[in-house]
Amino acid sequence: MVRISGFKRLNDYLFEIPPSFRADMRVPARFYADDTLLEEAMDGRSLEQLVNTATLPGVTGYALAMPDIHQGYGFPIGGVIATELPDGVISPGGVGYDINCGVRLLGAHASYDEVAPYLDTLATALHENCPSGVGQGGEFRLDLHQLDQVIERGARWALDQGYATEADLERTEEGGSIAGADAGKVSDRARSRGRDQLGTLGAGNHFIEVDMVDEVYDEKAAARMGLAPGRVVVQIHSGSRGFGHQVCSDYVKRFHGSVRRHNIELPDRELVCAPLSSPEGQDYLAAMRGAANYAFCNRQMLAHLIRRSFEQALAGKVGNHHLYQIYDIAHNMAKIEEHEVDGRQVKVCVHRKGATRAFGPGSPALPGVYRDIGQPVLVPGSMGTASWVLVGTEGSMKQSFGSTCHGAGRTMSRRQARRQVQGGALRRELEEEGIRVRAGSLGGLAEEAPVAYKDVDRVIEVVHNAGIARKVARIVPLAVIKG
Amino acid sequence: MPAPQDDPDLAAYPDFVVVEHTADWALRVYGSDFPALLRNAARGMNSLLVEDVSAVGTDVAVRLALEAFDRESMLVEWLSELAYLAETEGLIFDDFDLERATPTVLQGVIRGGRAPALQKHIKAVTYHGLEVVERAHGLEATVVFDV
Repeated sequence: MVRISGFKRLNDYLFEIPPSFRADMRVPARFYADDTLLEEAMDGRSLEQLVNTATLPGVTGYALAMPDIHQGYGFPIGGVIATELPDGVISPGGVGYDINCGVRLLGAHASYDEVAPYLDTLATALHENCPSGVGQGGEFRLDLHQLDQVIERGARWALDQGYATEADLERTEEGGSIAGADAGKVSDRARSRGRDQLGTLGAGNHFIEVDMVDEVYDEKAAARMGLAPGRVVVQIHSGSRGFGHQVCSDYVKRFHGSVRRHNIELPDRELVCAPLSSPEGQDYLAAMRGAANYAFCNRQMLAHLIRRSFEQALAGKVGNHHLYQIYDIAHNMAKIEEHEVDGRQVKVCVHRKGATRAFGPGSPALPGVYRDIGQPVLVPGSMGTASWVLVGTEGSMKQSFGSTCHGAGRTMSRRQARRQVQGGALRRELEEEGIRVRAGSLGGLAEEAPVAYKDVDRVIEVVHNAGIARKVARIVPLAVIKG
Repeated sequence: MPAPQDDPDLAAYPDFVVVEHTADWALRVYGSDFPALLRNAARGMNSLLVEDVSAVGTDVAVRLALEAFDRESMLVEWLSELAYLAETEGLIFDDFDLERATPTVLQGVIRGGRAPALQKHIKAVTYHGLEVVERAHGLEATVVFDV
């Protein structure tokens, strides 16, 4: 069992569990936190899960946890590890079932003062246009050829169909189209789950939120993104839907055989993995990239539906009802990258499970518009609370494999939240604060109550002060659309 | 609910209980034998998916044939199949005629119907901490669902 006494404090915001803590650890486990977040993390099994990730074959440097860590399955949510090529492992559980779950941020040309009189109409239009809820299909039903195009080309398929602009793709991680995806590595069942779910939000913690910029902390970076106090933005939080879930399930099942074949000892079966050099490791990488492309395309299609909603609600009523893309990032993904480890430049597979890539200034992976300020990092808070726009830093490249936090992080179980919070009352409270709520399920709303989450501002202070991201702007909600 | 390991009285046990999990949902499931464990796990998952299983029809029958390599993987396969039918067809099953249910082979007919609405989306059934253990009263397993 992990206790506070098991941690060595490396600095004000970084704690370490040495490999001597457990015989099967191959590297130290590090946790970005302040004293309060460290104490909160002792409740639950998230830190034990972090230690488990430090045992995987090929893991290099250290296993990391971000301040928004909470208990997941296998990996903790908020976990980052890098496994060294060629023989380090890739683990589907280190990516998660919702492959390339992520966040897209759109900027409005219209100001809050212009939009405010029409917020109710806008919230209703968003709810009507953007399908949400359990297994909900959308208006973009794909034949198998089209689906294969989405798997292999991602948001670039949407561009060809007129649902995206070049600027949208330029301002998406990997240009919205990650190379190396192979539709041939995806099962028929995954295909059947993916055919009618493109352009749908899903349920759980997924949402669309209309926000207003509340405060700016970095004038230069904010101006580059078009952010200033009073500007309206829209967040989309969704992923690869049933398609990605099935890809993960298929490979978790297949990798049980790999674990036996490669004599890999695991502390938890959900950590099943395969060497990246193995045929099955390469197959998963190609299938996972296909699911990542599906997710990029899904958020692109949602952006199209949001643009339609803005047109319906605001055209002719505000000066300019159009939306431009600020950025789109993944927070459940495994990527092949180069990082410095112990003074060596090594090729690694970075698993980010509930963690965001946060590349610093100068990275060739960034589009020209952001290359000198660092990669935009989008961190949604809990429903009804603030969210943050950050940028990646040199510190994130040196310390955390170019990674930072992804959200607020839960502190309360969904069951406890349902017991403690009444969905209808929560909706009234939010509406009394001026936040429009459109939700399919009041029970689902209760599970996502702010009281069930950590304080996102505290999480952001930690990553900012630790130097693994820098604050750019704080945004506050105006309207929330949930499944 | 803590399982009193020395209590041989099966009647003292429910079929399943919901247990705390921070980000997702988890069930502890009990069964006098493996087929009973599978049936109770399915009913436990139904309790997460729909508010009132009695409101679900009984007009749909599906023949299943599943393969796995041990008890845990069969439990995951079985629940994953039911979660898939719920997500894609909106179908919930409450009647399980399992002709064969071993750790490696499951054959049988399940009966149920379309649910008016699903209250939860189960993305996947995970192996996290999953172990089918033998107790004095029968079998027990804790299943974590990704939601």
